[in-house]
Amino acid sequence: MGRQLMMEANDLAVRYPNGDIALHDVNFSIDSPSFTAIIGPNGSGKSTLVKTVLGLLKPAKGFVKLHGYDSVREKNRIRKIVRYVPQRDHIELNVPMKVKDIVLMGRLLKKPPPRFSTSKDRNAVIAALKQVDMDDLWERPFPELSGGQRQRVLVARALASDGSVLMLDEPLAGTDSHSQDLIVEALGTYHRENDVDIVMVTHDLNPIHSYVKDVLLMKNTVVGIGTPCDIMDLDMMKHVYGPTARIVEHSGHRYCITKDSGFDRHD
Amino acid sequence: MIDLLMLILDSPFLQRALVGAFLIAIVASSSGTFLVFRGLSFMTSGAAHAALGGAALGFYLQATGIAPWFDPVIGALLFAVLVSVVTGYAGESGIAEKMEVAVGVSFAFSMSFAVFLMYYIPSQDVLRIWAYLVGDILLLTDFDIISLAATTVILVFIMILFGKEFIYVSVDMEGSIAHGMNARAYHYLMLIISALAIALATKAVGAILVYAIMVAPAAASNEVLRSVRSVILAVFCIALLSELAGISLSFIIRVSPSAVAGVIASLSYIAGLYVKRARQHVGLDELEKELEKHQPSLTPSMPPSNHHHSH
Ligand SMILES: Nc1ncnc2c1ncn2[C@@H]1O[C@H](COP(=O)(O)OP(=O)(O)OP(=O)(O)O)[C@@H](O)[C@H]1O
Ligand SMILES: [Mg+2]
Repeated sequence: MGRQLMMEANDLAVRYPNGDIALHDVNFSIDSPSFTAIIGPNGSGKSTLVKTVLGLLKPAKGFVKLHGYDSVREKNRIRKIVRYVPQRDHIELNVPMKVKDIVLMGRLLKKPPPRFSTSKDRNAVIAALKQVDMDDLWERPFPELSGGQRQRVLVARALASDGSVLMLDEPLAGTDSHSQDLIVEALGTYHRENDVDIVMVTHDLNPIHSYVKDVLLMKNTVVGIGTPCDIMDLDMMKHVYGPTARIVEHSGHRYCITKDSGFDRHD
Repeated sequence: MIDLLMLILDSPFLQRALVGAFLIAIVASSSGTFLVFRGLSFMTSGAAHAALGGAALGFYLQATGIAPWFDPVIGALLFAVLVSVVTGYAGESGIAEKMEVAVGVSFAFSMSFAVFLMYYIPSQDVLRIWAYLVGDILLLTDFDIISLAATTVILVFIMILFGKEFIYVSVDMEGSIAHGMNARAYHYLMLIISALAIALATKAVGAILVYAIMVAPAAASNEVLRSVRSVILAVFCIALLSELAGISLSFIIRVSPSAVAGVIASLSYIAGLYVKRARQHVGLDELEKELEKHQPSLTPSMPPSNHHHSH
């Protein structure tokens, strides 16, 4: 098999109905298989990029492709291969859905109605919940979990599902270091043992530093692309995160420290 | 007991009232529950008052002879569906707050429209329009029952078939679309079929009671219960019991059955809030006792306390 592109964008621009230009002049390509991190400050267009790839938003200009499928014309193909976890605050907490049903959702959504679950589905659900250490709480109503536990369940939903690309929008938001380690470890292991691509939006590259292959640094366009260590360039970080950004080296890796990410967990 | 059975067998209007109460309880437990899940309980009110506006249009067209075939029920259904479509359009992005405003606007529009037309409608028909507001379950006609029953059957069928999809749309619209589900279609389907059922239920029990019966039990159950299935079941029971209480009481003392049912159903919500609060206190008391019990023996050899959850 030749070189395959996981994701590529060409001259991509996206604007919202209110006229806000969220992304402009986006050009990049990433080979498959990859564990990609999309990083950048708030409002830098990370979620916008992910939603555009999924065909939830239409480009105003240019195109973006996932595994060669165009996000507009072939969005149905894309939606067959993708497992998506939206940013946590997009999940409505009004419905007393059980944890196991949230995870099962990832599998059942890939089936046509009436979407009956088989024992294979249920086994996959339990296995995925085990990976994020949430199998004890599988009968709990999802809205009764803590923020970090919810995040773990949503990651389990992606792990339990089928499809060659996992797209997770800020799965580490609002998690403590224990949840963070569980999620990162589960995703890293899954990527190593399965033939899947993982695309993960994150605020903070540091926790996933050693798992990630490609990094997209965004500020309403792609400011930088490369390995985690390439991206950790002081000028680039200062350009994106402001003058408080610092780079430190630790056991052969470079870490970036900004005001909003402490470095206590990399002692 | 025998007397009561005889009374029921003897009076067709009572039979119709009981069947009507049963059907409306089903509508409440399906549409009402899902609308509360969707964060859209207000749409019940919107659709019910739109039905009133639509009925006014029907009376007007009939009274003036412009369109004698235009039954007020057709107007009621049409307007209710219109509200649900406008609401659905505003909420395509999945954000419930946006739909709330759309409901409010359609609500205001249909009520203004109804009041506007009342100037041109003969006064006996105006009274019939107001009946859409308060309703009377003891005055149901065979036609009312048949149309409500038919809609309820379709509603239940669709809810059973697409219940999962409706829940997915409520919980995670964006994720559902991204996984290839046609969330928009289900979004509209649920709103439209609910609106039809609400419009017909409004004719039976009035716009105010429809809101009380459809929303209060669902909201109450959703506060207290911890699974989708138990919420649906509880809503059915609360709705049916409040209606039966209303009908029974109207035989003993001179009261409107709808008003009694509405009051009881509304109280269920307050009861739900109270139970939830009380439960929190009980939980704390138990925790304290638990802690006292363990206090003297809090040594490393103790097995970790069991965080088991009862259901
Ligand atoms: N629905 C919307 N309507 C209008 N503008 C929007 C909308 N969503 C996002 N934007 C704008 O688009 C830009 C990019 O937003 P986006 O949500 O992609 O940022 P992000 O990088 O994901 O931020 P965060 O880290 O806060 O999640 C922001 O300037 C934002 O104001
Ligand atoms: Mg975002």
